[in-house]
Amino acid sequence: MKGNMNFNDTKLSALLRESRVSPSLLPRFQQNVWRRIENAEAPAKSKSWIDSLVALILRPKFAFATVAVLMLAGILIGTHEGSQIARQDAQTRYLAAVAPSSLR
Amino acid sequence: MNRSLIILFSALVLATAVFAGSYFVSQRASVMCRTASADDLSWLREEFHLNDADMARVRQLHESYMPQCAEMCAKIAVKKSELQAALNDSTNVTAAAKTKLIELGELRAQCQAQMLQHFITVSQAMPPEQGRRYLAEMKRLTLGFHEEIEQSMSPAAGHEQQH
Repeated sequence: MKGNMNFNDTKLSALLRESRVSPSLLPRFQQNVWRRIENAEAPAKSKSWIDSLVALILRPKFAFATVAVLMLAGILIGTHEGSQIARQDAQTRYLAAVAPSSLR
Repeated sequence: MNRSLIILFSALVLATAVFAGSYFVSQRASVMCRTASADDLSWLREEFHLNDADMARVRQLHESYMPQCAEMCAKIAVKKSELQAALNDSTNVTAAAKTKLIELGELRAQCQAQMLQHFITVSQAMPPEQGRRYLAEMKRLTLGFHEEIEQSMSPAAGHEQQH
């Protein structure tokens, strides 16, 4: 009984192998495969400087650091400039009090 | 490439806005903070590093000078209106107008002398080095203007060649 079944399996396998249609390969298939492998292994094509700069800008750490530096610079310069303006205003105010403009 | 340029341009605009925004806000805040508590004499305290005792002396001198200054200003204003009236009456510079001009000049000179005397008195109420600096600065700010005009009108400046 068991021997009969083995014989049938072998026969079935042979029939299945024969029935499977192996598709014909595209022309120059092998050559194309090797070319794609070579391209994948080749070093990445170098980007333009703008792309490199944009890639740097889009990095969160760089973006936050730049915003922080710009804000700090703006605050420092603005405060300094503001104190100069206030000093000038105070001088004008004193002069207006002690030296009328008709005398200057 | 195009997308990269757009990102780069947007980043530049954003950076400019961040810098400009923080600059203007802090500048305004700085001016407001410094002028909120300022009076006529704040400049003296800050510029000449005066302490409370110096400031008290200077304030006293300032307050005693102000009525004299106001009185002189009122006299000058009256004389100016008299001169204006004398000039309005005729198309020529009349003798009356000349007299008013001379009187106005004398009043201005008196006022300037009084002002200079006040500056000298104030400078003596300050620490010596600061007092010297104050007096030099006040002379430059109040008398320097006339010197600039006179220099620009001198022959060396080519004024006579224009006539």
